[in-house]
Amino acid sequence: MNAPTRTGVPFSFGRLLVVAQNTFLEAVRQKLFALLLLLAIGLGASAQLFREFNFGSSELKFIADFGFGAMIFFGSTLTIAATAQLFFSEIENRTALTILAKPIWRTEFIFGKFLGVFAVVGVFCALTTLLLAGLLFARESALMEAHPEAFEHGRIIHYADVFVAGGLQWLKFGVLAAFTLLVASYSNTNLFTVIMGFFVLVVCHLQYLARDAYAQVASVPLRLLVRLLGYVFPNFQVFNVADQVGMGAGLNHLMALRIGGYGLAYIAIIGVLAVYSFRNREI
Amino acid sequence: MTTPTTAAAIEIRGLIKDFTVGLRGVKLRAVDGLSLRIPEGQVFGLLGPNGSGKSTTIKIILGLLEPTLGECRVFGVPSHQVDSRLNVGYLPEAPYFYRYLSGTELVRFYARICGVPSERREARVREVIEWVGLAAAASRRVGTYSKGMLQRIGLAQALVHDPRLIILDEPTAGVDPVGSAEISELILRLKAQGKTVLITSHLLAQIEDICDHVAILDHGRLILEGRVAELVGQKNRQALIVDTLPPAELEALRAWLAERGHALSVEQPRARLDQLFLSKVSRPGNAGGKEGGA
Ligand SMILES: Nc1ncnc2c1ncn2[C@@H]1O[C@H](COP(=O)(O)OP(=O)(O)OP(=O)(O)O)[C@@H](O)[C@H]1O
Ligand SMILES: [Mg+2]
Repeated sequence: MNAPTRTGVPFSFGRLLVVAQNTFLEAVRQKLFALLLLLAIGLGASAQLFREFNFGSSELKFIADFGFGAMIFFGSTLTIAATAQLFFSEIENRTALTILAKPIWRTEFIFGKFLGVFAVVGVFCALTTLLLAGLLFARESALMEAHPEAFEHGRIIHYADVFVAGGLQWLKFGVLAAFTLLVASYSNTNLFTVIMGFFVLVVCHLQYLARDAYAQVASVPLRLLVRLLGYVFPNFQVFNVADQVGMGAGLNHLMALRIGGYGLAYIAIIGVLAVYSFRNREI
Repeated sequence: MTTPTTAAAIEIRGLIKDFTVGLRGVKLRAVDGLSLRIPEGQVFGLLGPNGSGKSTTIKIILGLLEPTLGECRVFGVPSHQVDSRLNVGYLPEAPYFYRYLSGTELVRFYARICGVPSERREARVREVIEWVGLAAAASRRVGTYSKGMLQRIGLAQALVHDPRLIILDEPTAGVDPVGSAEISELILRLKAQGKTVLITSHLLAQIEDICDHVAILDHGRLILEGRVAELVGQKNRQALIVDTLPPAELEALRAWLAERGHALSVEQPRARLDQLFLSKVSRPGNAGGKEGGA
């Protein structure tokens, strides 16, 4: 018997985009963005409160820190919840059955899901960064009028850097989304996935502490283990460049580029692992 | 040497599927040594009680589950390969779709996934939606659809890329008799177009009407397979239907037949309830009701 002549199904970026688009649309129609808008309004309102403090130019740094802090907190929560929800809605509603019964690669499905979530988080990051930049600009202008002596050399905030920092946070959320998707690809429940997602988040934020603490430990196996952990889980602290956007020379752009590459590499590797794990999943 | 056209639409050999159930890793055999060959152009009914492995078999055919043992080919292509699904449309049991999409958006989504060329896509989407009788409800959110409407939109998405093989897992579950008669008609039209249809259903009367071949599964095993006409036909009996006879004439007829060695049994013919239902209930042109745009 010879093999039947086949057209074959090449990997299609178009199909991947169709899945991504649908995932994004689901988020939009589930009113996920209404929630984001609420967050943004809350952020703006709380920033108004700090106007009363009036602690000069260091107030700007405070607003930047506060803004990025809120972005990291809400963004992480959104990333984990949205990834788990948008993935499990396919499994639980058994729409995954119909879509995977079509001539589509599971790779396209998983990366499509990822891209959809990444776009949702991207909108969130863009909105909050814009809002933050607006707040900073308004406050800086007001301060410039009140204390012209403190602004002899013009504005002190590097606004381009605010956006670079926002972009890096977006990439970090991308890594987190990929991790959550990896967990989801073999997990059976939404709840387990969300909990594991937060676990990964905490480990990634704190792993540098462990690395520092155990660098001095004599026990070689333990040191190796911590070292290994440092390779498996990315260090999320490196994405936090917010404290460099305010004062001084500003952000080192080469550095930012390298951090971006670091994030993309992790997304690619974890994404491939998620595909591998999902390939063997019984739907 | 086989060419794709002579390959069976579905060919299953020695299929076994075990599920691990429970925490101790107990194995449950859902499909047990099943072999089937479904040639192209047939309407094939897969029957069996609940839990006999029909849906599991279908999922293996579609590559959604890996068989534990055995092999499964669709148009000659092993079903774990993506290209085995190029010519297959599938309606899962109790389907449930992206509820935030409208009917049209849903079918368009699947059309894009299946690679229906963009210049033909819109026309094709409209065509299949009309075909399943959902045109009036096409712009409504799928989340608002009734059970029968979900089955219909599911049928539309299964047909949108004009597949050669259509697999329907209980397409009439939860559909009213009018709707299920319409689905039967649709299936017969697909057959007339030369499509292969694999269908599971618990409505045996319907299966009998539309299927050429049936196979019956029990506990994952194939217990009976063959042509419907041969399986259910009683070759040595005939039914004659006459106007009601006066008792004397009936006795005379019975005596006349007895002389020639034939037995006569008399029954009151009854209309089947589904036929009665179909004749009494108005058949709506569109199942979607009057609301919704055109
Ligand atoms: N994912 C699974 N994990 C464990 N057991 C399963 C799984 N899917 C099916 N089974 C078991 O396999 C057997 C066959 O199930 P299947 O759904 O194929 O039956 P069916 O013939 O389609 O029944 P029905 O007529 O009720 O739809 C059942 O005993 C079922 O409990
Ligand atoms: Mg079933």
